[in-house]
Amino acid sequence: MSRRVFEIAGKRLSLSNLDKDLYPSYGFTKAHILEYYRRISKFILPHLKDRPLTLKRYPEGVAKAFFYEKRCPSHSPEWVRTAEINLGDKELMRVCLINDIESLMWVENLASLELHVPLSRAASPETPDSMVFDLDPGDEADILDCGRVALILRDLLSELRLSSYVKTSGKKGLHVYVPLNRNDTTFEDTKKFSKAVAGIMEKHYPDLVTARMAKEYRKAKVFINWSQNDPSKTMICVYSLRALEKPVVSFPLAWKELEKFVGKDDPERLRVMAPEALRVAEKEGDLFRDVLVKKQKLPHL
Amino acid sequence: MAVQGIWSGTISFSLVAIPVQLVKAVEPGRVSFRMLHLKDYSPLRRRMYCPEEEKAVPPDEIIRGYEIGPERYILITDEELESLSPERSRTIEIIEFIDMKEVDPIYYDHPYYLVPSKGGEKAYRLLAEAMHRTNKAGLAKFVLAEREYLVAIRSVEGALALITLHYSDEILPDEDISPKERGIDVEEKTRIKKSIRQMTAGFDPRKYADERRTKIMDILKKKVKEKALVEAPEMEREEEEGPADLVSALQKIMGKVKKSR
Repeated sequence: MSRRVFEIAGKRLSLSNLDKDLYPSYGFTKAHILEYYRRISKFILPHLKDRPLTLKRYPEGVAKAFFYEKRCPSHSPEWVRTAEINLGDKELMRVCLINDIESLMWVENLASLELHVPLSRAASPETPDSMVFDLDPGDEADILDCGRVALILRDLLSELRLSSYVKTSGKKGLHVYVPLNRNDTTFEDTKKFSKAVAGIMEKHYPDLVTARMAKEYRKAKVFINWSQNDPSKTMICVYSLRALEKPVVSFPLAWKELEKFVGKDDPERLRVMAPEALRVAEKEGDLFRDVLVKKQKLPHL
Repeated sequence: MAVQGIWSGTISFSLVAIPVQLVKAVEPGRVSFRMLHLKDYSPLRRRMYCPEEEKAVPPDEIIRGYEIGPERYILITDEELESLSPERSRTIEIIEFIDMKEVDPIYYDHPYYLVPSKGGEKAYRLLAEAMHRTNKAGLAKFVLAEREYLVAIRSVEGALALITLHYSDEILPDEDISPKERGIDVEEKTRIKKSIRQMTAGFDPRKYADERRTKIMDILKKKVKEKALVEAPEMEREEEEGPADLVSALQKIMGKVKKSR
């Protein structure tokens, strides 16, 4: 096994199997993955900060078996920040917090290609920083349908004086985030609110939208998954790679862009690959920044 | 007794504040029925219907109009109406004390009782007693369900009763009702007086009952025994949509968003 020791931000980190191609049908090695996360780190780190990370590890590459790891691996270096989270029944679990570049490099060395985080921080697990609408296309629907739903959702939310932000899931769907950043909003609030919104969308666009989980309702429709607004759920972090054939990224879009792509019927533009993600982020900055700072209150609750 | 009042707050005048709950004093005895679809006995719902388009109209396409002439209306929005509603209040403020005998029963609208809340029993009893001794009723203004009412508070056998009163402009004029006096002969007058005297009795409401109600209830009881019941088809339970306020705001906004797209 090839192994090289690097010094990152003054911390020694031993990286292994750098030449291993983890996206074999595309050609993207562990070195490429580390390089992607190193360059995207200044954009992704604020979104990972203080959130219990769920690792999704692909040690043999995207085509082979993966496993989730919620518990922080026992062999973690002492400088990786951790938090204790409550599993109920007073049982505690130690989780990793990815608050700096060296920790990010360490989890990527474990081939955790996908980084999943909850909508709340470890210190305040019951307080979501944002409300999310996870738009998931059923069979015979596609990402452009999700785009149409997202745009209606944006207009609806904006009538409620709520700014919203959209990113690709990296797979087939879109995620619409409504920043809250208030310590008095609970998951109960966000769930109630998002469920009512999903219900009203379904009622007014019955051919395009369903608010129901069951597969038979989802055919040719976009499922607005409001139930992600839950302390036990995680979302793929913005700028995280996805473990598909190609190194696709969950990437933020300006609403204007989404309008353009939907208007042009151009689904390919909604699949952002790692090199393009780096180019756009380095040029445009973090389009998801407001999700972390904008304070908004859910009305009519 | 734990009562579930329809309103709770305080009665106040000068420096006295008595915590109370408002409870209904009457329950109208009308027997009500659900309308069912004859075909399968599904319960029916009312919808606003547009005869022009021959279809049901959704709530977000409905606005109020005040009719000022044939097919001429002044529009008024929910917001405008809302801005006129009095502020919700938690007090029944007695403005003055009056003699109840001076209030023509035509002003009586709807009766309630006031029940003392915890800690208010003593002051409540004092007020009820004092009003009983002086034979006075308190006149107050009070907001219930977005409307301001004029109410009279009376003492009835140790309890306080509240009756909402009609405003004077709700009372219809009665000038032309009594016929002009013409010569009535004395004998006739005496005869009527005598009949009235003979038929005079104490008021005993228990002697009377709503006969139609009694008959309907009898039929229903009989039908239950005969098992003449029908069942509505199992309905897909409508999922709870969310907080009513939010749902109605969303409903309204959705109409707007759809129009602008």
